[in-house]
Amino acid sequence: MPTTVNLFPTCLAGTFRESIVIAAEAALRRAGAEVVRPQGLTCCGQPAFNAGDWENARRMAEHTLRVLEGYEGPVVMPAGSCAAMLRQHYAELFAEDPAWLPRARALAGRTYEFSEFLVDVLGATDLGVDFPHRVTYHPSCHLLRALGVDRQPRALIAALHGAEFVELPHAEECCGFGGVFSAEFPEIAAAMLERKVANIAATGAEYCITADPSCLLHIQGGLNRAGVPTRMIHIAEVLAVNSAQ
Amino acid sequence: MSTLRQSIRHALANPALQAALDANAERRRAARERARASLPQPWETMRRRAAEVRADVLAHWDEVFDRFVANARRNGFHVHLAADAAEARRIVLDLVASRGKGPRLVVKSKSMVTEEIGLNAALEAAGHRVIETDLGEFIVQLRHERPAHIITPAVHLRRQEVAETFHARLGMPYTEDVEAMTATARRHLREAFLQADVGISGANFGIAETGGICIVTNEGNGRMVTTLPRLHIAVMGAERLVRTPAELALMLELLPRSATGQDLTVYTTLIHGPRREGETDGPQERHLVIVDNGRRRMAQTPLADGLRCIRCGACLNACPVFQEIGGHAYLGRGGKPTPYPGPIGIVISPGLFGFEDYGNLPYLCTLCGACAEACPVEVPLPDLILQARRLSTEAAPKEESAPPPLPRPLRAFLGLYARVATKPALFRLAQQAIRPLARLTAPLSPIPFLRGVKATPRQSQTANRQSPIANRPSQPAPRNPQLATHHPPTASSRPLTASRQSFTSALTALGGEVVPVPDMVSAGEAIVAFLQREGLKRVWAWDEAHLPPEVVAALDATGIAHPVAAFPPEDETDIPKAGLTGALAGIAATGSLVVPAGAGRPQTASLLPEIHLAVLRAADIVPDLQAALTLPAVRQASMTSIITGPSRTADIEMTLTIGVHGPRRVVVFLAP
Repeated sequence: MPTTVNLFPTCLAGTFRESIVIAAEAALRRAGAEVVRPQGLTCCGQPAFNAGDWENARRMAEHTLRVLEGYEGPVVMPAGSCAAMLRQHYAELFAEDPAWLPRARALAGRTYEFSEFLVDVLGATDLGVDFPHRVTYHPSCHLLRALGVDRQPRALIAALHGAEFVELPHAEECCGFGGVFSAEFPEIAAAMLERKVANIAATGAEYCITADPSCLLHIQGGLNRAGVPTRMIHIAEVLAVNSAQ
Repeated sequence: MSTLRQSIRHALANPALQAALDANAERRRAARERARASLPQPWETMRRRAAEVRADVLAHWDEVFDRFVANARRNGFHVHLAADAAEARRIVLDLVASRGKGPRLVVKSKSMVTEEIGLNAALEAAGHRVIETDLGEFIVQLRHERPAHIITPAVHLRRQEVAETFHARLGMPYTEDVEAMTATARRHLREAFLQADVGISGANFGIAETGGICIVTNEGNGRMVTTLPRLHIAVMGAERLVRTPAELALMLELLPRSATGQDLTVYTTLIHGPRREGETDGPQERHLVIVDNGRRRMAQTPLADGLRCIRCGACLNACPVFQEIGGHAYLGRGGKPTPYPGPIGIVISPGLFGFEDYGNLPYLCTLCGACAEACPVEVPLPDLILQARRLSTEAAPKEESAPPPLPRPLRAFLGLYARVATKPALFRLAQQAIRPLARLTAPLSPIPFLRGVKATPRQSQTANRQSPIANRPSQPAPRNPQLATHHPPTASSRPLTASRQSFTSALTALGGEVVPVPDMVSAGEAIVAFLQREGLKRVWAWDEAHLPPEVVAALDATGIAHPVAAFPPEDETDIPKAGLTGALAGIAATGSLVVPAGAGRPQTASLLPEIHLAVLRAADIVPDLQAALTLPAVRQASMTSIITGPSRTADIEMTLTIGVHGPRRVVVFLAP
């Protein structure tokens, strides 16, 4: 029986790059899963949480919990930082709330980041995707350090047919987005971004693959400004490309 | 007075600063990786243990603290407890004034807690002369600046700027030669060391079980400050405690590696009290000023884990925001400076000194987590930064007049967003409205994220359930698609050779010299030959009762004088070029000499001369730092110096210079 997956589009992907959501759904299907799009999902509350505004973060988290409690089975997010929010920070938000804490923990236990779910749960590494391009990979900070997910997206990339992988110099360095950070300190964010853009340019890759829509959009903005032809692309978008045969 | 925003712009627009910060980040990260590979056990295992040790001390803080204070008093320390910065300043000022009427000369070794309490300004206001003796601190003091980093104060300067400062302030002919600049600082500070009335140091750790303190330095200034003046005052933060010498050993395996990438600092000094009966050097009085200044209050908040910090500075070196703006840019509200920048600084500045002044700092972070990965005691920095932001938000006054922790438009947006995000239908509408708007304004946005939006494919292009990639022409497949394999550095397996070989290679690697001798008669001959080659007829030495009789006989037979070192000397010309000591032990892993003080075993013999000659028996070599620190003689001596190679500094542009205040040559005559 195929696994039924609840796909959480996340607000940034859903608003600014819906192709990620569509691609994630297609890739999960290709890997043999049934995909459900729970009705009523909006934003997990991470922006408010990161800004220190726990009151508003709780309101959004409560909303998210109510919606997802109506759907059984794993919740998959095509965004490392959002997955970290549900998995790690919901429990902190409700640490002193005996009514909500068990509900937050239950959701955390069934939440996965997209690439992690494909590789670790579905065991689907090679989806038969033909991708004859020079590519590199930007491991986003929350995915790499908060969730410890690195092997999985790299395995997915290694299994692409025809792709030439180039390691990104200083790959593990932050791109400077940081949510509210880049709105509050745009000059520092831009300086950090310049560094990331230069490293990406040095790879000569056609595509820089990442698993977080926020970093993706931020870095794409930097590439545009610098006139670097490399395109940012989400791992889900890569995996939804027509298959090799 | 500049604000946080101005200081950030200023930093970003300063090319010399940018170059200095980039070089720092690059070099420190590489050095740390190398040092991790030399740890006796895996990094994750050791830092877990270190985190547990520090957490456990803080969980039983009162008990450990009382034990430390009682044992320190038993050792002869005068212990003073200061509740806040003002009280700490008053205690130190009273002690300095007790040295006699009029202005006094105070020499200081690097201490962040004295920066925290504003000690230098207070001493100067009282008319005293204060000289910072760490090379980096000396430079920033000459420039009337604050330290830009908690372990490398002059990290923000290029050698040209230091050269200009030395030229203008010390009258030195302009040169960018780092060695020449260091030599000038050495001459200048040597005079101060010899004349100072008071030495003020920090303390890296207090050891509860022994009532001692530990200070780590590289240049030798820390030893000077704690050995030469008649009065030594150590100022320490109340949380900097471990229970046992074994716990200290664990901390010292991690601290220098995380700080500078060294396996061990050149000088690891353990102090267990003032000069004792029969000793010819060391201060007559030692005072310990233990500063709380918000620490116990912080322990009651969600930021408590920040008190585990051992001030290695690794999080600063790992932080991409610090790398862009440097330490001076971290200003609280109204331009209030903090001594603690970087990831740990944005937690403990508000944690110790209050959110009213420093509640803006926790926002200087992208939450990337590089700091937590670098921390040797597992301070959960991103979590603490999130907690600090929450506390900052909750502490913010509601009135319109007060500055909010976040810019008002951003705050208003988050409130509105929460309202919209809890109503899915409204959220969908907002999404549809925002897409075209974002596209339109994207190219003008100062925020790169919104510029990235412009480049995203329109929905119509992807509605066919294909990735945007499908629209691009594909290229011929390359020959060998594969992931670049990554080989993590593996810990080099410890060679199973004798400990004397390990000692020799470790010391030699640091620029020390080892002369193997078959017996003590040969040791005497080799020492005499060495001194004759150098043209020296006199050495400062340990008393002959503490040196091998064969060595003493060889010196006497060749007419080489070997008076017992004493401080103060008649004048500096009385200090010979070479000192001769024995050693309680050697440390195989690090090439260190363990040199305790005692009657007939003056510390200055291994400190003031340019060349330190030591006789060591291979049988006295212990495997590691823990074995050395737990030797009973170490806790019994008033002072023990663990000496790891010649004195060194890298405070100017991280250029390694050998021979600062301590000896520039360390020569060990290694007998069986």
